[in-house]
Amino acid sequence: MNWLLALPALLLMALVFGWPLLRYGWLSMHASSVLTGLEPVPNQGANWIRLLEDPRFWQDAVQTLRFGAVSVGLEIVLALAMALLLDQRWRGRGVVRALSLLPWALPTTMMALGWRWIFNTPYGPLEQFAQAAGVAPLNLLSNPDWTWFATVMADVWKTTPFITLLLLAGLQTIPDDLYSAFRLEGGKTRQAITAITLPLLTPYILISILFRTAQAAGVFDLIQVLTGGGPAGSTESIAQYAYLNAMRFLDFGYSATVMLAGFLLLSLVIFTAALLLQSSGLFRPLKS
Amino acid sequence: MPVMRRLLLMLMGLLLAGSIGWSSVHRPEQVTILMPAPFVDATAAQVKRFNSDHSGRILLKVIRGPRDTESISDLAISSLLLGTPPFDALLVDVTWLPKYVAADWLQPLDPWFDSDAIDSLVSGAQLGNSVDGALYRWPFGADVGLLYWRTDLMPAPPQTPEELIQIAQDLRTDGKVKEGFVWQGRQYEGLSCNFVEFLSAFGGAWLDPETGQPTFDSQAARLTADWMQQLITQGTSPLAVSNYAEPETLQAFKIGDAALMRNWPYAWAELQSDSSAVKGRVGVTTMVAQPGESPSATLGSWGFSLLRGSQHQQATAEAIRALTSTEAQRDRFLMQGYTPTQASLFHDPELLDASPVLPQLEKALSIAEPRPITPLYAQMSDLLQRQLSGLLTGNRDPDQALDQLQGATLTLLRSAGGVS
Amino acid sequence: MNRSRPLWIALLLMWSLLPMLWQLITSFTSGDALVNSDIPFQQRWTLAHYRELLSGDPPFWRYLLNSCLVGAVSTLLTLLLAVPSAYGIARMSQASRRSIRTVVGAAALFPYVLLFLALLELAREFQLGNNLLAIALPYAGLALPLALLLLISAFEGLPNELDDAARLEGLGLLDRLRWVLMPLIAPATASTGILVFLFAWNEYPIALTWLSRDDLLTLPVAMARIAGSSIYAVPYGAYAAATVLGSLPLLALVLLCQRQIVAGLTNGAVKG
Repeated sequence: MNWLLALPALLLMALVFGWPLLRYGWLSMHASSVLTGLEPVPNQGANWIRLLEDPRFWQDAVQTLRFGAVSVGLEIVLALAMALLLDQRWRGRGVVRALSLLPWALPTTMMALGWRWIFNTPYGPLEQFAQAAGVAPLNLLSNPDWTWFATVMADVWKTTPFITLLLLAGLQTIPDDLYSAFRLEGGKTRQAITAITLPLLTPYILISILFRTAQAAGVFDLIQVLTGGGPAGSTESIAQYAYLNAMRFLDFGYSATVMLAGFLLLSLVIFTAALLLQSSGLFRPLKS
Repeated sequence: MPVMRRLLLMLMGLLLAGSIGWSSVHRPEQVTILMPAPFVDATAAQVKRFNSDHSGRILLKVIRGPRDTESISDLAISSLLLGTPPFDALLVDVTWLPKYVAADWLQPLDPWFDSDAIDSLVSGAQLGNSVDGALYRWPFGADVGLLYWRTDLMPAPPQTPEELIQIAQDLRTDGKVKEGFVWQGRQYEGLSCNFVEFLSAFGGAWLDPETGQPTFDSQAARLTADWMQQLITQGTSPLAVSNYAEPETLQAFKIGDAALMRNWPYAWAELQSDSSAVKGRVGVTTMVAQPGESPSATLGSWGFSLLRGSQHQQATAEAIRALTSTEAQRDRFLMQGYTPTQASLFHDPELLDASPVLPQLEKALSIAEPRPITPLYAQMSDLLQRQLSGLLTGNRDPDQALDQLQGATLTLLRSAGGVS
Repeated sequence: MNRSRPLWIALLLMWSLLPMLWQLITSFTSGDALVNSDIPFQQRWTLAHYRELLSGDPPFWRYLLNSCLVGAVSTLLTLLLAVPSAYGIARMSQASRRSIRTVVGAAALFPYVLLFLALLELAREFQLGNNLLAIALPYAGLALPLALLLLISAFEGLPNELDDAARLEGLGLLDRLRWVLMPLIAPATASTGILVFLFAWNEYPIALTWLSRDDLLTLPVAMARIAGSSIYAVPYGAYAAATVLGSLPLLALVLLCQRQIVAGLTNGAVKG
């Protein structure tokens, strides 16, 4: 009976998540492109060989990792600061909490267009600012060495509130008594953060990292709209490369290969990270 | 629980509102054509006329697509991939055609446009419409790359790449103009278009016409890459061109910030409008070339293609014919400045009267250079754009960039589609 | 810390709100003023961008409506599937629960954008493209992992005796769910619903591939396509106006339901 109740939802999930993976596995062993009239033709792993030799895929993989690592890192630090600030009691806290949550709620494509305008050379506000300061032009969106950081900033702006929420929840589980006891023993407020807050918050931080890393690995909307992968392909992510291959090049066999490989790489990263965390002893199972 | 109930009510309300606002009206024998937004405006009058001429029989409806070429390509392709596209015909960019034909999406137009019709087109407009001998596209307008120059700043336009740099630099040093030469350097299709012209200037070609193999290891390619990089490092073009598409380029030229501009014919009308700071001080010519090399003008242009699955092929063909009739072309040229495709119109006194640059356009069309005609073009162009963009923005070593480009293009031609 | 707190709050607000404010300002600035800072202050302002959007073909409110419809249907479908399912899972043995949790958790972590190609094929196979009701299917499927995690936790938080007592009273399964359990997990259901709605409202890659008719686009896709009709000008004014109009419903939702969102995320996600 319980299974009967659970089944419809699990079936839909299997269809939406499981079937594509099987399908990609099959497609990645076939040529299916304009050269085959979009019909799948078995090609004995040629897609995988091409992938291994494709510098662009590996460049995109590195870029995706770099994007994920830096934005998640920044987001955790910022979110921690924000959560600590928003956890204290002060007048107007509710309003500020709600306002600081707003960036997270806006559709990514919308604000990506907004950022494109903010980073615009020479008319965007940042560029105008730089002009006033005498350091223009910044060329924020046409610098292959630094444009990826602009995408990181846009991502940090949008998703930090989400992590802040998770961490706030964590902070609320820490009983106030702990802090009073600590102060009674002569501890300073600042020390309390490292002695009490951070250790007790660790599980929440870890879950945020896990969740956000996985999301960042699939970054698509933001980069597609903000830079389109440029300049010189320096901001292109794996998901975008897969999208390009399917929707612009009509090479479905290779697109499926790229997606499957991206998924395998991500699993590898998360698995290694989880192993490392576990062996470092930081990770304790949470009570459920 | 009040929260729950309120939310449910809200959802129900939204559902209801959605389904009411969503009803549609059914119309008989409706022909639908997808076009990028600017062309929708350009054809509005002709569509109206067509509908009144055919009232009761055919109703032509135009879908307003996005403006940006890549967005409309995404839109068209996702419609086609979904299986039942909501249109009968669409405007196809010249570079998409081989890919669409290979994907078996298009219906040949030969029954409706015979060889006489093709022969009546100006030479540049005859290119890029057929694949394997079948006509799959009927050109909407003729479109080639042009070099715009400021008649008040120089006695004659530059003829060679060196001259271009020289003139621009002199003008800049004299403080007569802010920027020398503006063009399309953003990482997108426009960059490939610019490159084709620059490459011809040094006598090169993207693919070897004999072997079909890429030639980025040639001397010409090397000179072109050097020259493009020089444009930016020497200040002839601002670094910002590496993020310019057509609108930004036109903007800079129109407000009088630049001495030279590479752009398409549509820019002419805008430059002669009242909001233009350079009205009456602009000349049009073709791109520069090394002495001994013949300049080229990249073939652009959109054209109508009929979808294989269309239920209204005859009616759609009639609509295409009407939208591209000599009359329609004359109107569009006079009203919006779209270059005609009928050879006869280039000698029409009324048109010549309206635009002194028509002979220049005809000349440019006679040296029109198509981009490589292959279903793999999108990938090839993407590879090129990446490397060029790196060259322009990151000061990459041209040798290394060209080397990688050559290798990547070869790999692509060998392994694309993964047929082993 | 206490003395510098106003400073930190000000910084936080600036960081969160300035980019949005800039969009608001841009949306009221005329196209010329955007690229020309010499235009005097009084002449910089215009409503033209909004007028253009609302008189477009199709008008902008159509996209809002589409997004509302898609969001509402997806939310209903997700909850309809997730609530009974979560109830069933919550009553399973410890071992089954744990393995299901692991699978569902992994799915919640999956970067779903990678699924678009296979989902597009499904849409073609079953003629589901260009259908605002059909797109709720993948949306529900994609939102289910998070919804299940949140709701399983909610059901697990309920004392078993309650359900048993209701059963002894002779109430059937549906009645128990409807009259006994639903009211108790209503807060969790509400916050789950809001999160699913936000997801459906913001989703881009699937909408991009499943919807191609211009009168059926949802907001995120429409945004990228509005682009202003003029080929001559920088289109950021129109973008900004669209951002403002498209954000208003969400801002309202978030400001009104902030409490539910926080509660929902904090209850379940972390335990999962």
